[in-house]
Amino acid sequence: MRNFLITQLGKSICTISKLTNSGSGSTWPGHVALKLNKNYIKELLKDSSRQIVLIAGTNGKTTTGKILTTILKKNGKNVFQNSSGANLINGIASSLLLHTNFSGKLTTDFAIFEVDENNLPLVLQELTPQAIIVLDLFRDQLDRYGELDGIARNWQQAFEKLPSTTHLILNADDPLIAYLGTATKATVSYFGLDPTKTEGQSVQHAADSLYCPRCSNKLQFSKIVYSHLGLWKCPHCKLQRPIPNLADSFYPLEGTYNKYNTLAASLTAQTLGFSRENIDQALHAVTPAFGRQEKLVIQGKQIQLFLAKNPTSFNESLKTIVENNNKSFPRRVGNPSAKVVPLWREGQGEGSRLRSNNKLHVLFVLNDRIPDGRDVSWIWDIDMEQYIEKLQRITISGDRCWDMTLRINYSMQFPISNFQFSNSKIQTYKNLKLALKNAIKNIPVNETLYILPTYSAMLEVRRILTGRKIL
Amino acid sequence: MKYILTIGWLYPDLMSIYGDRGNIIALTKRCEWRGIHVEVKPITVDTTLSELRNADLLFMGGAQDRQQTIVAKDLLKKKTVLSTMIETGTPGLYICGGFQFLGHYYKEADGSIIEQLGVLDVYTENPGGKRLIGNIAIEVDGLWPMANSKTISNKLSAISQLVVGFENHGGRTRLGKEVKPLGKVIKGYGSNAEDHTEGAVYKNSIGTYLHGPILPKNPILADWLIAKALERKYKTAITLKTLDDSIELLAHDAILKKIR
Repeated sequence: MRNFLITQLGKSICTISKLTNSGSGSTWPGHVALKLNKNYIKELLKDSSRQIVLIAGTNGKTTTGKILTTILKKNGKNVFQNSSGANLINGIASSLLLHTNFSGKLTTDFAIFEVDENNLPLVLQELTPQAIIVLDLFRDQLDRYGELDGIARNWQQAFEKLPSTTHLILNADDPLIAYLGTATKATVSYFGLDPTKTEGQSVQHAADSLYCPRCSNKLQFSKIVYSHLGLWKCPHCKLQRPIPNLADSFYPLEGTYNKYNTLAASLTAQTLGFSRENIDQALHAVTPAFGRQEKLVIQGKQIQLFLAKNPTSFNESLKTIVENNNKSFPRRVGNPSAKVVPLWREGQGEGSRLRSNNKLHVLFVLNDRIPDGRDVSWIWDIDMEQYIEKLQRITISGDRCWDMTLRINYSMQFPISNFQFSNSKIQTYKNLKLALKNAIKNIPVNETLYILPTYSAMLEVRRILTGRKIL
Repeated sequence: MKYILTIGWLYPDLMSIYGDRGNIIALTKRCEWRGIHVEVKPITVDTTLSELRNADLLFMGGAQDRQQTIVAKDLLKKKTVLSTMIETGTPGLYICGGFQFLGHYYKEADGSIIEQLGVLDVYTENPGGKRLIGNIAIEVDGLWPMANSKTISNKLSAISQLVVGFENHGGRTRLGKEVKPLGKVIKGYGSNAEDHTEGAVYKNSIGTYLHGPILPKNPILADWLIAKALERKYKTAITLKTLDDSIELLAHDAILKKIR
């Protein structure tokens, strides 16, 4: 009875919040529910036959959730997924609350929750999922999350308590993630990219986990996919990349990072009992998630959004954009023996091997709000030097537009002289509307403007573009 | 005269977490744009001592705990050479974990004490609990002998007294008598959140918690390091060619506006 009232109250809060456009509808009801009953989530799920899947990791949570949701829906299941802005414990309580019916029962077969790195152990105290997908750990918002090893340690402790009925779906190519499978009673499955079908490259500067998670000695990589993901082994303690249970699939989305997301979602569906055939068929219906390779058309001009929130997601987005732009050009095959090159240098690595037709227009939007991380020093870990020559026009905006302009300036052979922006291929506008307006105006019809925003910037860009406020 | 500088980057694969590479990029570009040839040498686990000795300028960034353990072990082998270089005036910049490594010791939250190099008269204690995180501005005027250096252009000297960055550290560092602080905290926490000092200067070495990274937005500091390194190597007074630092100043001022 108590939870019934809480649920109704929560729904009312959500309605009011939507009506008043206060924008906190996705987290407030859960916040209030947990304040009134701290066991709200536990009690709500007690008699439920709902299957719950949690998704954790630095990059790819939302897209993996979207792919899994599509697979389940195409196979006739009712599914709901929390929004990425609601990935803390109160957001999860909110999503649950909004999907219960009048008698307090959940209305769907599956619930998919992406979970914030720091909140995963807390969430596991409240519920026991059927599956947990762990994608990767990259440096991201160190001011909020702290160090990667600390996160992995907390996860390891939480995973030790899992029952064998929970499936743990881990990325074999990420050493820190794969190692999580060694001390848990949960049923572990691994996904990883088929090395014979993947181009290798040299170590990127932003690579994090290059040392053995067990004995701290330097890992050997016989192939690097990107950052610290690849074919790894420890020459000292012999820990090595586990053999994946799934290593190839039909890939509906562009970008190497989306191959991982696809494999993770596919493998999860497989462990939940769906046939390969049904999964593969459903994959053809996958479309990009909100702000992640999402396409818009404004005044006959193509716009594509690539959420770029940390060095790895920025690098991989740039790489994908350059590859898209070069599809009709022949490419040389990469160096198969990945060599550790810790310095950045022009002319090394993946990007420089791609030919350019010199028509790339990009808009970088760098914000430093709470969802973006207050610290923007990560932009210096982007391998901008590899891509700068391929970008024809760069527009820059956001709270920290001058930091980004400085980063671009220092990636060029010669500095922007005398600050003559009017002649330069680089244009900086603090005002985002102005930046969007000019960036769109400056591209020919039928060409694409690629926008790489941080998280809060992505929401802002979408709000402006879909509201057509400037145009 | 064609100048050549060798920058020794200490543990780029292990000690480089908060965009520390930006400092190397700033040093390199500011040399190259002036026609100074730069070589960046990674000095890491198993790099020979002679390669370390060849560096004209040293840089070391911060890291995660596990990486710091690996570095601490390797640094023991390089301790004598590195100490001698710092004592004899090799210019260097040591950020966060790099700064802590140069001190006497690091005391962890659980009370265990890790011996450090002891080149700098500072020590660090981590009381556990709250990390010191946020944008920071420090004033270097009066505390910082380099502010009067002739190598710094007049245009910059007015605002250069304020150095800006971002700090994120659990350790609290306190200074002994042998070192001067890098600056006085205007906004932010500084070395220990108590005595309003930030960083330390000893001979030509600078230790600081400021990342962001520190050099791109504070070009005066980058140029000071470059000039010191050239003066020491070529044994002559150096006047660096002035660069257009408009973007640097806009980025610098944006931080000041933000925290005012």
